[in-house]
Amino acid sequence: MDSVLKLDVQRIDMTYDDGGKSFTALSDVSFAVEKGLFVSILGPSGCGKSTILNLFAGLVSPTGGRILLDGEPISGAGLDRSVVFQHYSLFPWMSARRNVELAAKQAFPEKSSAEISGIASGFLEIVGLADFADKFPSELSGGMQQRVSIARALAMDSEVLLMDEPFGAIDTKNRVALQDLLLSLCERGAEKKTVVFVTHDIDEAILLSDKIIVMASGPGRVQAEISVGFKRPRDRVSLVKEEGYVSIRNRIVSLFYADIADKIGGGEVVI
Amino acid sequence: MPRFLRPADIAFAAAIAVTLFYPSAGGMLSGHAAGLLILVQAVFIVRRIFGKDREAVVASGDALFVVYVFLFSWELAAAKLNVLDSFLYPSPGVVVKTFIDEIPALLKGLLSSLRLLLGGYLLAVAVAVPAGLYFGYKRRLKLASKPFAKVLGPIPPLVYIPYAIAILPTFRAASIFIIFIGALWPIFINTMNGVSDVDKRVIDTAKTLKLNDRQMILWVILPGSVSSIMSGANIGLSFSFILLTSAEMIGGTSGMGWYVKYFSDFANYPKVIVGIVFIGIVVTIVTFFFDSLERYLLRWRK
Ligand SMILES: Nc1ncnc2c1ncn2[C@@H]1O[C@H](COP(=O)(O)OP(=O)(O)O)[C@@H](O)[C@H]1O
Ligand SMILES: [Mg+2]
Repeated sequence: MDSVLKLDVQRIDMTYDDGGKSFTALSDVSFAVEKGLFVSILGPSGCGKSTILNLFAGLVSPTGGRILLDGEPISGAGLDRSVVFQHYSLFPWMSARRNVELAAKQAFPEKSSAEISGIASGFLEIVGLADFADKFPSELSGGMQQRVSIARALAMDSEVLLMDEPFGAIDTKNRVALQDLLLSLCERGAEKKTVVFVTHDIDEAILLSDKIIVMASGPGRVQAEISVGFKRPRDRVSLVKEEGYVSIRNRIVSLFYADIADKIGGGEVVI
Repeated sequence: MPRFLRPADIAFAAAIAVTLFYPSAGGMLSGHAAGLLILVQAVFIVRRIFGKDREAVVASGDALFVVYVFLFSWELAAAKLNVLDSFLYPSPGVVVKTFIDEIPALLKGLLSSLRLLLGGYLLAVAVAVPAGLYFGYKRRLKLASKPFAKVLGPIPPLVYIPYAIAILPTFRAASIFIIFIGALWPIFINTMNGVSDVDKRVIDTAKTLKLNDRQMILWVILPGSVSSIMSGANIGLSFSFILLTSAEMIGGTSGMGWYVKYFSDFANYPKVIVGIVFIGIVVTIVTFFFDSLERYLLRWRK
């Protein structure tokens, strides 16, 4: 692909200083995220997925190597990247609307409060929460909270959307609904956003992504980069019937579980 | 047990019966005592009819049972059987009558006390909360202040009273200072600790939104520590009441604590009891408003 690189990860290492002991979470990780693509980072728990996302978000800096955003090294957080975490993405003491408004106001300080309020209402409507705008997060289900987080990210209109296992704690039924929502949101914009999506769910990664970075742990490293070229718009039912779906899935499954099998003693893993 | 007959009702009936129908010596004012019983029971009945939370209603009934048994025994011992010395142990009726007569004096004392209490307490809140938030947010300041908080915090502020009265020009200034010091530490320490309890992931979210220091403290750190702040403020408030009344008893010429001390010196025990009961009522009302404020501030929690 000769497209523009939005994020360029160049040979990064990440060593945490954990009370005197040092712990290597990432070792020599390189990959790129092309502008406008949906890229998933897939791997077992502890392989450094969140670390990569936090590096992208500018919450931590790598101990080695560098990460370029639009060609410039990342220095700190920025409103050009919005983040959805698995938990506590929202301020629990602010209503859904207030959470979205706060982010929109940060992104568009020049806009009047009426405009900001309009933006917030609009995106809460898009994620299907118009009637819940004045609820506190604790009054919403986990799935609804993540919808608010998504509305907030959209309201900021940032070019990059960073999501760290956003649906990991949601029950299956709502997870499917949220995946479909995200799929439709990502596929419709003319100025397509660049999305980095962390997950440990293989099917979720295939459904949503243009590219999947498969990671292995101990220390965290990139195991494979897999392009997912299925045509869009996608839907989960016809996707599984696509030619090549089964082979891609099998390939990822074997990569994914080979790593785990190594860790648990190299025995056979039956899926 | 049927809804209209609870242990409290039986105790009420017993108390009212002995108060009204058991003959007593003159001057015991059993009518006043009965009035108090009826008033309390009326409030209870209203609560029972309109109270939504059944468990709370039952709990207040159980508490009332104890109150009625106490009033029953007190009336019986002090007004009817005369087994208690009526000089040291005035009967319930005498206390009720004294209370009613003393309302203007009590309110005057309340006003005087509240001026000191609010002065010292609000000053402490105004200093301790911002300082606690800022010190808690800046790790280095927090570490530097820890030893001071550790050493100075546990000194019972009561011991400052005589010295404060000696060095400060007026009693008013001394009391406000003592209440200020007493309330300052618990609020400061709790606020500072509350800051570290704010979830790191919430802070991360705030960072990704590029909040500046001021927004971070006002919109994230402050609401995130409200629960700790309120528990510090609650301890500070209890300290304030203790310090207020103590200071008034030691050096005051007005106020609720002074009232109790003054009439103890004259061995006017009905007024002493009235003063104590009045302080209890004031503390209860203040606590009620405090709890409501806390519930409002934490309404976002499940
Ligand atoms: N702040 C930290 N200090 C020390 N170790 C950390 C820190 N953050 C993460 N780690 C460690 O780094 C490894 C990777 O963590 P993480 O990026 O959260 O993995 P994942 O998101 O894939 O589960 C884990 O073993 C974790 O314990
Ligand atoms: Mg993670």
